[in-house]
Amino acid sequence: MQTAWGWPIAIYLFLGGMGAGALLIAATFEFSGKRYQYDFCPTALVGATVPGPLLILGTLLLIFDLGAGRREPWRILYMYTHFSSVMTWGVWLLTLFIPVALIYGFLEILDAFPATRQWLKSRRWLRWTAFLWNLPLRQTKRIFAGVGAVLAIGVATYTGILISAVGPAIPFWSTWVLPFIPIPMLPVLFLVSAISTGLGLTVDLAATLALGSVEQRLKSLPWIHLALIGAETLLLGMMLITALMAGGSAAKSAQEIIAGSYAIVFWFLIVLPGFIFPFVVHAYAIGLGRHSPVSGVGSGMGIVISGLFLRYLILISGIPAAL
Amino acid sequence: MLATISRRRFLGLTAAAGVVAALGLPLLRKEASSAEERPKARYALIIDTTKCTGCGACIEACRQRNKLPEGLSYIRRIVKGNERNPWFLMVQCQHCANPPCATVCPTHATYRREDGVVLIDPRLCVGCKYCMQACPYQARIFDEKRGVADKCWLCLPWVLGGGLPACVEACIPGARIFGRADDPQSEVAQLIASGRAKPLHPEFGTEPSILFYIIQEE
Repeated sequence: MQTAWGWPIAIYLFLGGMGAGALLIAATFEFSGKRYQYDFCPTALVGATVPGPLLILGTLLLIFDLGAGRREPWRILYMYTHFSSVMTWGVWLLTLFIPVALIYGFLEILDAFPATRQWLKSRRWLRWTAFLWNLPLRQTKRIFAGVGAVLAIGVATYTGILISAVGPAIPFWSTWVLPFIPIPMLPVLFLVSAISTGLGLTVDLAATLALGSVEQRLKSLPWIHLALIGAETLLLGMMLITALMAGGSAAKSAQEIIAGSYAIVFWFLIVLPGFIFPFVVHAYAIGLGRHSPVSGVGSGMGIVISGLFLRYLILISGIPAAL
Repeated sequence: MLATISRRRFLGLTAAAGVVAALGLPLLRKEASSAEERPKARYALIIDTTKCTGCGACIEACRQRNKLPEGLSYIRRIVKGNERNPWFLMVQCQHCANPPCATVCPTHATYRREDGVVLIDPRLCVGCKYCMQACPYQARIFDEKRGVADKCWLCLPWVLGGGLPACVEACIPGARIFGRADDPQSEVAQLIASGRAKPLHPEFGTEPSILFYIIQEE
């Protein structure tokens, strides 16, 4: 098992994925027009406002985990210049994503609560911003939503590329999509999981808590969740099978996950809350025709917790190649 | 020394100056390294596992010369074979021609000299540990005091001065052979040419260029 990266990195990977996923959901609501079907849309509000702070928190965790870079923070500037490193891509993505997400969130607040607009406009010390208030709010917001969505796909995917780029050193992390397709599985799995956790946060949790029920917002929600859970099961299952077939350290990692020292984390903190429970709840909701608040909040929390432990499990189960 | 200067000056520097430093330091360093070096030496360190007794003298000598804390060394001992007939694999930085540690390093801290020695510039390291993850030989350790990655540097100042790496000097059964691979008369060049000394795990694709191993076929 690798010991260089632990909880701070796992939490960062999770926050980065969920933040990116939430912003993708908000942008989808924005561009599909669903955002404007109701007076108040908690999904778009949470999906736009939360990613910036989440990614700031994640970035602070990354800096906290550095050695010399934490004590001498100007060294972080060196990380912008070495483009062969996936970590350098990540530093650039975070640098671009965080301000775009913060601005998008700010504009969404202005749009959702016109009172804040009036209040800010009437501040004397903000008089110099007068020219900004002439900009068309929704069009400006859409630009940031669009740029943010592109960057979000980058953020969600790169976390998987970062881990898989260590190649033969930790074979499990670079397990291929299929034994004969030399594309690493982790970026794909992390992207799907990012969308899943983002949906869990913005719709299951936020919309249910704010509105009491969720189905009026997104009638197809149970179906989308079933599809995402199905895709994640398929991807994770294929990754474990491919790793088992590859033998060596990759197979050992997969064995530890399925039936070894990480089996409890895998079955009880990932599969049960993030796969089985939401699957049952959403299938039930389809049969029943509606969601109860408890099932909405429950499945949202389960999916979010499972996303966190998935990142942790993948990190901790990386076994270095045997020499 | 340089670290303290940059720390002192930092107060007066802007972020732009930091970026200039990030771009400029590696450039300065490359010039310096190519100017000081004699024409293209190629070193080789061959470990004969058939002679190695696993005593660990190299591990301790490395620790002392590099002033590493108790229990840390650039060399790691791996016990191979079975209980009745064990043998020992001493692993340290292989000084790869295609070093993944340098590829994944987000700064320019890890670099490969023209003579093949892979070095870390501790002034540029941020301590992200990505290189430790990417090294398939697990040859890197972390210097908690300075917060930077660290590894075998082939005792370069000693070698450039005509001396030997500490591990070679300390090896009791003479299982470590050091020399210049670019001199065809040298023992190391002949061992490599004959195919007896081979890179460890060439399937990793990192092309170890200085360390070679003589391993008894099982």
